[in-house]
Amino acid sequence: MPASVAIAGFATTGAMAWYSLRKIEQDDDPRAVIPKASMFTAAFFVASWVNIPVPPVSVHLILNGLMGVILGWYAFPAILIGLFFQAVMFGHGGLTTLGVNATMMGVPAILAYYVFRLRGAPGLRAMGERGSRALTGVFAFLGGALGLGLAALILFVLLIGTVPSSLDGATERAAITGLVIAHIPLAVVEGAFTALVVLYLLRVKPALLEAPLKKRPGEAKLAGGR
Amino acid sequence: MRRTPARPADTLESGALRSLRVLVPLCLAALIFFGAPRVADAHGVEIEHRSGEAVEVEAAFDNGEIMDDAQVTIYAPDEPSEPWETGSTDEEGRYVFMPDTSIPGTWDVQVREAGHGALVNVDVDEGAVSSEVGQSGGSGYDTLQLVLMGAAGIWGFVGTALFFMRRSS
Repeated sequence: MPASVAIAGFATTGAMAWYSLRKIEQDDDPRAVIPKASMFTAAFFVASWVNIPVPPVSVHLILNGLMGVILGWYAFPAILIGLFFQAVMFGHGGLTTLGVNATMMGVPAILAYYVFRLRGAPGLRAMGERGSRALTGVFAFLGGALGLGLAALILFVLLIGTVPSSLDGATERAAITGLVIAHIPLAVVEGAFTALVVLYLLRVKPALLEAPLKKRPGEAKLAGGR
Repeated sequence: MRRTPARPADTLESGALRSLRVLVPLCLAALIFFGAPRVADAHGVEIEHRSGEAVEVEAAFDNGEIMDDAQVTIYAPDEPSEPWETGSTDEEGRYVFMPDTSIPGTWDVQVREAGHGALVNVDVDEGAVSSEVGQSGGSGYDTLQLVLMGAAGIWGFVGTALFFMRRSS
């Protein structure tokens, strides 16, 4: 990978981490979310061990969409920490590419969070309890699937744009395209998994899901204050 | 048998996006042949065979998946920026080449597929390939070590969660 891309990755990751921490700081009690963030970081950390064969290649779970849906802005530092440990302990990903990888997975995670929040949009709230439950599942699926799909798209653009001139470009581009296409079924799997986790939490501990929505008064206060 | 130090791959590693955690244990073994060049000539067909020392590179992703049809680029020590030879691995993820023993030093062999790649070094002495098995990329740990490290990592996260939960209860 060209050094310029690695450096740009670290710059974006640095800026995103700073902005995420600022957002987290505006929370009423940021420390209260840390247990949840830490547990999901553990899940993210081991998710890469779950291989799913998509012939002719095999891909592994990423769960960045799930992280965004459940953790909101906490997802970015959580993903960064998870990737750091994967790189240091298992050589998975690598430290030089940590910035690029964190941006590639973290930014779609934040978008997944905003997609999931759409379930609370005024027009959609009119549905009954049953409807809102189904809607929560649907938006969780969309968040999980879009989070991964977008990460794969960023990977595609980055890889295609940086094929070294020493390689046979056509062969390498075909290999990259094959790898990225293999992530389409994975997006469905991760979307379904995200929906499952969210619906489960909704049943056993809905408070865990409310945290992102609870922030609204704080944000309103912020908007009014500045 | 000794291990050559792993060098970080300088190619883009999507890391988590595929179960090839970045790269690839690349195993390499020097095969040694002895003999004189001979030419067989019959009915206009000309076959030439040359004997010398060859290096075999075997590439797999770190989940064990074979890197078949991956692109191989070889750099000679005298010109580290210009590929000396390019090719691709066979169905078993193998690639064999004969380094020019008149160029001693460290030869770099890079294997790359879909943005994932690793680099392995081959030492060539004056007139001979050093016979050794080297490995690059991957973590180099066995399953037990990986499981223990993973468990330690998970416990770190769970412990963090417990620490912050203590406060609220």
